[in-house]
Amino acid sequence: MTGSQDKPTQPANTVPPGADAGQQIPQQEHVMELLIGYLLLAGVLASVTLLIVGLVWQKIISGHFTLNYLISGMNLFQFVTADFRTLLGGASFGPRIFVNLGIAALLLTPFIRVVASVFFFALAERNWKYTLFTLFVASVLTYSLFLR
Amino acid sequence: MHLLSPELLFVISILAGFIGAMSGMGGGVVLIPALTLLGLDIKHAIAISIVSVIATSSGAASAYVRDGVTNLKVGMFLEMFTILGAIVGATVTLASGDQGLFIAFGVVLLFSAATLFLRPHDKGYLHRQDGMSRWLELHGNYYDHAAGETIQYRGRLSYVGGPMMFGAGFIAGLLGIGAGALKVLILDLAMGLPAKVSTTTSNLIIGVTALAGTSIYLVAGLIDPGIAAPVILGVVAGAFMGTRLLKRLTNTHVRRFFLVVLLIVGVEMLLRGFKVI
Repeated sequence: MTGSQDKPTQPANTVPPGADAGQQIPQQEHVMELLIGYLLLAGVLASVTLLIVGLVWQKIISGHFTLNYLISGMNLFQFVTADFRTLLGGASFGPRIFVNLGIAALLLTPFIRVVASVFFFALAERNWKYTLFTLFVASVLTYSLFLR
Repeated sequence: MHLLSPELLFVISILAGFIGAMSGMGGGVVLIPALTLLGLDIKHAIAISIVSVIATSSGAASAYVRDGVTNLKVGMFLEMFTILGAIVGATVTLASGDQGLFIAFGVVLLFSAATLFLRPHDKGYLHRQDGMSRWLELHGNYYDHAAGETIQYRGRLSYVGGPMMFGAGFIAGLLGIGAGALKVLILDLAMGLPAKVSTTTSNLIIGVTALAGTSIYLVAGLIDPGIAAPVILGVVAGAFMGTRLLKRLTNTHVRRFFLVVLLIVGVEMLLRGFKVI
């Protein structure tokens, strides 16, 4: 590329500095951005909080942070429900359930983001093309999270 | 048998998250070699790393998306390819031998080092769109705070970018990393998006891609909560600190620092793959 070709393209990319950037973005799209942004933030914060509670509780009751157990051959939904089942079965409430839920919250964060996007594209934007794309991503993720 | 205490895992993960955030490539690049050096087998290290990638990607993406720089449509379109790639990649890892994974990791790191020499294109972003990219509505604008103006852009070559993203997703699932360098390369050089849109959109895609890979490792029983918990917390803390420091450093410093890290770790992984060390 020569220097002379650069000149006309640069101003074409920009809007004058005085222009209001907010007006460039459709309102609905901005709502979507805020929704997704806060969903992701809430998911990570929930996960980190649950993991800290689990590990600190483990340290208090046993004197160390080590948790020795494996999740073998379980998908995400089995993994989450397994702990609730043991609780309902009368087992005591311990650090393990917090750590498991912390990991589950993290895994569910991008998943919920995609599911929320499906509803947004379908109901708010009525953009069927992107509803279909997002639905495809959500379906593949759901399938993979139900694998066994 | 590894001798990794939760405290040691936490400290290593802080370091990995810190370097990963400064380089923009995520913690896996440092985390996986470090965990394997301390005795964890590479498949467990890959599985643990990919879970932590979800955390760092989601944390960073939350801010970028709210700023309005991330292009959600570009992200959604390309995620269709990356998640399939990640599922295939993770499945290949389960069937692979350890030596092959070390070699693949080394090769990807050295390739990533080479990409640091490529400069993002900045010759204008209002490309003449092909029919498919226009149909996919791959255009947008964002307010650049540094330049004080709104940058408008049109993406191109989506029919090249999509299949290439399958490859980036494959590598992410195979090696448990974000593969951010590859994704940015595709968004920037192939699809012609501005550098800021490329990096932030890549970040959004990384989280969903890592989740697809994680689902395979979870069912395979490779995710040990006792290891995953301190690693997730450490990587998130390290990434938080790394992002703060990044704002004070110049781009050249970051590039030089990361180039050295990539070269050392890449060569080390290759040598272990070929059983030289």
